[in-house]
Amino acid sequence: MTTAKKQTPLFDWHKAHGANIVEFGDYLMPVWYASARNEHLAVVSQAGLFDTSHMATLRVFGKDAYDLLQWCFTRNLDACVGKDNAPLADGKCVYGLFLDEHGHAIDDSLVYKIKDGEYMVEVNASMGGPVARHLAEQAKGRDVKVVDLTDKLGKIDIQGPASVKTMAKLLKNPEVVFDKLPYFSAKGHFDPESTLAGQVQLLDGTPLLLSRSGYTGEVGFELFVERAQTVKVWEMIMAAGQEFGLTACGLAARDSLRTGAVLPLSHQDIGHWPCINNPWPFALPFNAAGAGFTKKFLGSEALEKEAPGAAWTLTFVGHDLRKIEAHDAKVYLEGKEIGTVLTCVTDMAIGRHEGRIYSLASPDKPADLVVKGLCCGFIKVGSRLAPGTAVEIKDAKRAIQVVVETDVRPARTARKALKTFM
Amino acid sequence: MFPADCKYTKNHEFVKPLGDGTALVGITNYAQEALGDVVFVDLPEVGAKFAAGDEFGTVESVKTVSECYMPAAGEVVELNADLEAHPEYVNEDPVAKGWMIKIRLDGALNPELLDAAAYEAHVASESH
Repeated sequence: MTTAKKQTPLFDWHKAHGANIVEFGDYLMPVWYASARNEHLAVVSQAGLFDTSHMATLRVFGKDAYDLLQWCFTRNLDACVGKDNAPLADGKCVYGLFLDEHGHAIDDSLVYKIKDGEYMVEVNASMGGPVARHLAEQAKGRDVKVVDLTDKLGKIDIQGPASVKTMAKLLKNPEVVFDKLPYFSAKGHFDPESTLAGQVQLLDGTPLLLSRSGYTGEVGFELFVERAQTVKVWEMIMAAGQEFGLTACGLAARDSLRTGAVLPLSHQDIGHWPCINNPWPFALPFNAAGAGFTKKFLGSEALEKEAPGAAWTLTFVGHDLRKIEAHDAKVYLEGKEIGTVLTCVTDMAIGRHEGRIYSLASPDKPADLVVKGLCCGFIKVGSRLAPGTAVEIKDAKRAIQVVVETDVRPARTARKALKTFM
Repeated sequence: MFPADCKYTKNHEFVKPLGDGTALVGITNYAQEALGDVVFVDLPEVGAKFAAGDEFGTVESVKTVSECYMPAAGEVVELNADLEAHPEYVNEDPVAKGWMIKIRLDGALNPELLDAAAYEAHVASESH
């Protein structure tokens, strides 16, 4: 039996603007408009606009909401913000995982603290139901409710250096909104009834939750609005950003940008295996020594037990833009098969010069370097390989040489101060 | 929509006879639209000889890597040298700017190749 695919409120806009539409989870989504390559480059150099209304949003609230999340979510809510490991305060959000008792990833997530007893949990497309059921099962007598808001909300991500100027044109009091809005924090609320709704409004009064976060590695915002406002807000942003080169972007650019930023795709780079020994140790509540966890949580015992023998997920970058089909591809070290390929895409904004990777945005990029893109992604192998190790990845059609790296696209802007972009 | 001076395969390659025993070979406008941005084109050497249906190269797009098959038998006499620096020519104009190889035709074209109208009908049936 096939089920009807869902559409976001922007589906007709995407169709009218020439988007190639693909099935993604339960949704029909734009994979690119005119050019995935140009969309990727726009986010690195100017800005891109993404319809992310397919992402699922849960409201987790009640006296024991903190307690439930502290048990089910991998970050220690008492110690997870900034270098000093401050508690998750009102208006902060944090990236982490929901694991099962085996330490396998159910999904990854951003958890927002709205206020005491009130959290917003952002998970992947089609995962609202499964994560909501998981949380309800784990609640076990706790005083907490979980409500799936997905179909009531629209979500739009604006990413890239020009996103700041674009939003400044549209917000009431942008200097107040942008003040003390570091990476992984949020202001405002999409619900006009919320006491926070006055914090962030567009010039026409539309309230929104504005989160300084994203999935591209570049500076920008994730906007949550009431579903009925989605198309209007999207069109306002597109119009305001036109002078800065703002480009509507599809899922292909989102995938290549996030890989260049060394961010995992749930159910592809993390999934049904112990969620440890990977490029994302920050998703777990390691203690300062990195030898144990600062709290007990669902899956922590399994991870502590499994870690020594668990597979290693590593980042790689190739020597040119040629890639392979990750599905069913294998990894070889000196001719011996050692693992599988999880993700393999091309980051169009980077190139190699004398062994070093530069981005179009690198301030010290050699003048004669022609950036054509580099293949990059993640492999899962039996044991740790040192950065710089050359391996071969191979699909049914071709084999390519790649290098184990700790980072992919340099000079990313996500963490820079917003005033830098005004 | 598809040039009348080309013949087409069901696999979306074109062959454009130039009247002097040679022909241009590449992928169709329908193929480039389905692939999205072409970022790399891997071509054979000049002098390589192929039978109709042989794989002669690959075209890499943002989406995937696809093989290209010979629409006709022949020997490669020229490569489109522009494609190394400008693979996007395949997207911009797959026949005039984005042709891939020039071949010396070996015998007559296979009568099973589609003309423009038949190819257009084939494309219409595929997109259903």
